[in-house]
Amino acid sequence: MKKLLEISLGIVTSVGGFLEIGSIATAAQAGAEFRFQLLWAILLGGLCIIFLVEQSGRLSAVSGHTIVGAIRERFGFNYFFFLFVTLGLVTLLVLAAEIGGVCVAFEMATGIGFQWWGIPVAFLVWILIWKGTFGVIEKGVSLLGLVTISFIVAAIIMHPDWLAVARGALPSIPTHDRSRYWFVAVSILGASISPYLYFFYSSGAIEDHWDENYINVNRVIASTGMSFGSLISIAVLILAALVFPPRGLHADHYSQLALLMQDALGHWGFILFVLSLGIACLGAALEITLEVAYLAAQGFGWNWSENQPPIKEARFSLTYTLVIILAVVFVLIGIDPLQLTMFSMALTAATLPISIVPFLILMNDKNYLEEFRNGWFSNFVVIAIISLAFLLSLVAIPLQIFGGG
Amino acid sequence: MNLIRDCLDKQVVDRHGQNMGRVDGIVIQLETGKQPRVAFVELGVETVARRVSSSFERLLKKLIRSQAGEQEARYRIPWSKVIPAGIELVANVEAEKTPALRLELWLRRNVVSRIPGA
Repeated sequence: MKKLLEISLGIVTSVGGFLEIGSIATAAQAGAEFRFQLLWAILLGGLCIIFLVEQSGRLSAVSGHTIVGAIRERFGFNYFFFLFVTLGLVTLLVLAAEIGGVCVAFEMATGIGFQWWGIPVAFLVWILIWKGTFGVIEKGVSLLGLVTISFIVAAIIMHPDWLAVARGALPSIPTHDRSRYWFVAVSILGASISPYLYFFYSSGAIEDHWDENYINVNRVIASTGMSFGSLISIAVLILAALVFPPRGLHADHYSQLALLMQDALGHWGFILFVLSLGIACLGAALEITLEVAYLAAQGFGWNWSENQPPIKEARFSLTYTLVIILAVVFVLIGIDPLQLTMFSMALTAATLPISIVPFLILMNDKNYLEEFRNGWFSNFVVIAIISLAFLLSLVAIPLQIFGGG
Repeated sequence: MNLIRDCLDKQVVDRHGQNMGRVDGIVIQLETGKQPRVAFVELGVETVARRVSSSFERLLKKLIRSQAGEQEARYRIPWSKVIPAGIELVANVEAEKTPALRLELWLRRNVVSRIPGA
């Protein structure tokens, strides 16, 4: 009974915590510019994140290590330091995008420009982590995040041509704007396969004291939670494909995103969109902030636990404080949150091998996982999708920046 | 025990289970005519900085000296006081009385305790 409750709560938090500015923005731009044609990228990304989240939970449950702790131990300080710097910088950009997302939600609700919300939102993120516990952050905010299911409801109400939607599940060559097509595909993969998701999940497994008895719980939570989460991204893409092209819009300004649910749900669609955007980005901002602090604390061996008061772990709590301050600078100087999102998602895809290659090696190491090591299929799926994301990013990012295609 | 695989970079906790840091270095004593002997495990930013590169170590040393004076930014625990226990090494010491937590305690006293709600 207890396990059943944990599974349900785990799935609910995974679904509620899945959507964030990256998945909303990339799916919306994909739908607006290429209709259903990029649906395959969400499916591939979703499949990969199911495997990665399951693996990170398994690593922590069996070995008692977080991913970061195990990487430091197995690959030494130098590799950890390299990971810390690169992943730290990319994650900082992603955090800036999420804080920007919450600010945009406030702008939509009040009409006051998003930059003005930078400091209040940063303070809100900080105070929730400073005063809250892991449970409040992971479960509380993710439960509120269930409002994002309204995207699925809206997509169904819109009666899309399901056959055309299904055709998008197979990759196809675009007829126009080729470099843009691949850039959006890479950004979708980066948004779906966010390292913070599985790094945070592995820290959560340790915070919740998982052991080998949780292998099945973990499997159900990872596969069901991430599948439903991906469904919400698909719903965003479908809505964007139905809403933007008839109006001649490209979803290239964040204010246009508010239209996503309006055709289906009227004024309620606008309210639900603002709530979804604000809560989803707030949840992601909390998790990402904690993740950067976990990265430092676990790698350097400090005290770390979101369940301890800050005074017990000064370095950990000051790290997340500093991370929030650095991230909000991007919002305050007025960088467009949507541009920042697309760029940071593509950069995430380009840097995936840095965290995933050592992680996969660990997942095949007998010293850490004994008989619970990866099978060939898990290895194959992750390696294939990550290689694709990496290779695409090598071509698509320079093309996007310097033009062409 | 394989020193690099089973000891280097492992989490070190004190006798109460308090995290102290990770094994940043291992000190081996060489004496003529005797077998090499593991003498200490070493914790500290200078030690890990040396593993990155010697110029990074020099840079960090300069920075630490300018901020904290001549205090040693490394801490050695005698091998005899260290017991491997699962995924951690337990050091038979009191973490808060060692230099390993000097920065942590300084930050607690001078920064975090001044922020409301800490």
